[in-house]
Amino acid sequence: MATEPGINMEAKIDARENPFEPYLDALKKVLEDQDPIFMIGIVVSLAVVVITVVFLKYLLSRKTVQSAVLLVGLCDSGKTLLFSRLLSGKFKKTQTSITDSSAPYKAKNERGSSWILIDLPGHDSLRPQYVEKFKSAARAMVFVVDSAIFQKEVRDVAEFLYFLLTDSVVSRNVPSLIVACNKQDITMAKSAKLIRQQLEKEMNTLRVTRSAALSAQDGSAGASVHLGKKGKDFEFSQLPMKVEFLECSARGSKGEDGEADIASLEKSLALL
Amino acid sequence: MLDFFTIFSKGGIVLWCFQGTGVTESFTGPVNALIRSVILQERSGNNSYSHDALSLKYKLDNEFELVFVVGFQKILTLTYVDKFIDDVQLHFRDRYKNELEQKGALALLNSHFAFEDDFKMLLREAEESSKARGPTSMRSFNASLKSQKTVKSMIETKGGDKGKEQGGKKNKNAKKEGKGEKAKAPTSAQKTEENGNQGLTQEEIIQKKREEFIRKRMGAPVEKPSKSPKPVKEKPKGKEKRVWTLGGSSTKELDYSQSNGNGAHAAGDQGLDRGRGGGRRCCREGGMFGMLKGLVGSKSLSQEDMEPVLDKMRDHLIAKNVAAEIASQLCDSVAKKLEGKVMGTFTTVASTVKGALQDSLVQILQPKRRVDILRDVLEARSQRRPFVITFCGVNGVGKSTNLAKISFWLIENGFTVLIAACDTFRAGAVEQLRTHQRRLNSLHPPQDHGGRPIVQLYEKGYGKDAAGIAMEAIAYARNQAFDVVLVDTAGRMQDNTPLMTALAKLIAVNMPDLVLFVGEALVGNEAVDQLVKFNQALADHSMSDKPRLIDGIVLTKFDTIDDKVGAAISMTYITGQPIVFVGTGQTYNDLRSLNARAVVGALMKA
Repeated sequence: MATEPGINMEAKIDARENPFEPYLDALKKVLEDQDPIFMIGIVVSLAVVVITVVFLKYLLSRKTVQSAVLLVGLCDSGKTLLFSRLLSGKFKKTQTSITDSSAPYKAKNERGSSWILIDLPGHDSLRPQYVEKFKSAARAMVFVVDSAIFQKEVRDVAEFLYFLLTDSVVSRNVPSLIVACNKQDITMAKSAKLIRQQLEKEMNTLRVTRSAALSAQDGSAGASVHLGKKGKDFEFSQLPMKVEFLECSARGSKGEDGEADIASLEKSLALL
Repeated sequence: MLDFFTIFSKGGIVLWCFQGTGVTESFTGPVNALIRSVILQERSGNNSYSHDALSLKYKLDNEFELVFVVGFQKILTLTYVDKFIDDVQLHFRDRYKNELEQKGALALLNSHFAFEDDFKMLLREAEESSKARGPTSMRSFNASLKSQKTVKSMIETKGGDKGKEQGGKKNKNAKKEGKGEKAKAPTSAQKTEENGNQGLTQEEIIQKKREEFIRKRMGAPVEKPSKSPKPVKEKPKGKEKRVWTLGGSSTKELDYSQSNGNGAHAAGDQGLDRGRGGGRRCCREGGMFGMLKGLVGSKSLSQEDMEPVLDKMRDHLIAKNVAAEIASQLCDSVAKKLEGKVMGTFTTVASTVKGALQDSLVQILQPKRRVDILRDVLEARSQRRPFVITFCGVNGVGKSTNLAKISFWLIENGFTVLIAACDTFRAGAVEQLRTHQRRLNSLHPPQDHGGRPIVQLYEKGYGKDAAGIAMEAIAYARNQAFDVVLVDTAGRMQDNTPLMTALAKLIAVNMPDLVLFVGEALVGNEAVDQLVKFNQALADHSMSDKPRLIDGIVLTKFDTIDDKVGAAISMTYITGQPIVFVGTGQTYNDLRSLNARAVVGALMKA
């Protein structure tokens, strides 16, 4: 009895193979008829096509892999001047940027790695669009803060930083964050430590108010990413990304023709 | 004569600048103000802007992403500036083509643009050309047209009295013309057509005019001879046609006789447009490759290319309830932004223009300042003062309903609210607010908040002065440590001057933290009129030099429009202020914030 199902199975298998057999035989005959060199040619070209497709896919996916460092910040914080100093070391007069500028940057480390430095406009009406465009390509963000008028702008700075940190793409890619406290050449500039403390306090409050904000009219709610640890006061060390605060001065303490004090910034950029 | 001239890239780097002799102030401030108010607010339609005592003119070069700005004193009227900017732009482009063509900002950073000599030469040429024309001297009587008319041709034929009237005038003129008479005779031979009537009799003049009239009318019934056509001399003008400042523009725009021909052209799909455009070029350049060249490869956009697409877009926007003049201003601004831009391969004109329009719409709807009411209320609480919000608008837009919704949202987040009933005119306004107060208190009973009712109403009945009630309400809130004061005002039409004055007084005296204009999404072209007049009234009647204007907009009745969301664009464009709340219904939960992308998506959807 046990063998009967086995015989039946075999018969079934045979029956299934049988319809294919004539086709397979015909195929074998056609292939054998062809010139072997022609066959090799076809195989080689197929292989080349497959390899090219795989290669392209790899390359294209690499493009979206982060290879850019973004210079973000509020309007008038000194991003474009910093951009100019990092790339060419020269002082250039600047106006409010309307579009982004990008250029390849060679980091000052032994590996000599180079990536793209992108300067985004800081004006409120342009900011969201440009961040949206470039956030997926960011491997690090340099958030430029105007240290001299920080006290007046602390809420705006914190809101933009909150917007960046709670963005879904950013919280997924986890680019490292460097907060550059610019304009240290002005005497009233706040130190990086003070700015850090103030921002932490402000982000703490923002966590509450932003989550209570109204949803949009088409039903889409804001970012649901919660910053830091629940129940504890917000600190930058609680974030999944590397956060660093440093001081710099794009204009430089010796006036327009002198060097800029961006040594610490360059060092951090070299470590990326 | 010029104060300054700058050339900078759209990315913000100044490539070259010139500062006039004796000018010490930096020009960065005015140019930044120009960028922020004109270019970023999509008002690039007209290319001049005034800031304090300076007048600025600018020109965008979209191919190389440059901006050229010139500044001079407002009191000077320099006629050569427009042509001068064009010349400088062409010159600069030609000279530095190599550096500008490279992609990336490195070229701009590293190269030094030594443009001074060329600039000085161009400036000298422009100044000399304007001087050479010189002030136009007045024509002498002999050279004017009047001297060439005979007395006879100026006499009307209608009845004898007219002739006598004119005769009186003519006598005076005859004395003046006595000298001119001699000059007339020899020059009469070389007359133009209108003065050719001299030699004819009156009947022949009438006949000629009649024929012209008929020709113009093209088959309209022949005018009776009693209706004599107008004589050569113009009658003094009777009633002039009234021109409304904000009303529709001239009837020329309603003349679709030409555009119908073009409309049919452009109504075809984009491929057809391209093909036809390519075909046209093909005939000129010859060969099959001409057509392909139009499709592939870089081509710079010109005004004519964009014209049909922009017209279609303008009509589309107007169909979506954007105010008519705002739609046309927007389209002009987009045209200015795209003129001369080089398109990539396989991109059509229509897609480029649509993309640019979409970007500018999103940009307009993005708030230009931080909008976070809860944070500001917390800030005011830490300063131990109440946060005052005032609602104003025309009748029936939903001020009281949305005030109730906003107070619900605030008490959900734990703030205490005082409602000030400054609508002392409408019947039942105070009772309506009292009902809302009772309902909100029952939703959040006082037991939960330390025995104190979370919403209170401050009212003084009907017929009293609204500004006084508001002031007392704010003082009461400060004493009782309320977090927010919501001031409800009566609805008023923007043309009603005494009521607008009263509103302006309320706002000027009480200095609220937030002045919200409540507008309904159903409004069309009216929105422009309402907002302009409200802002004007607030500015006029405030004593200070920094008047409080409208700070934000509440867009109500959003659920009644499907995708005709153009009112949002009209309102934000006119004021430049963000839309803070969107009302989507009549219950307490129907309060939303604006999502710019979704609105623009709905607007651009076919």
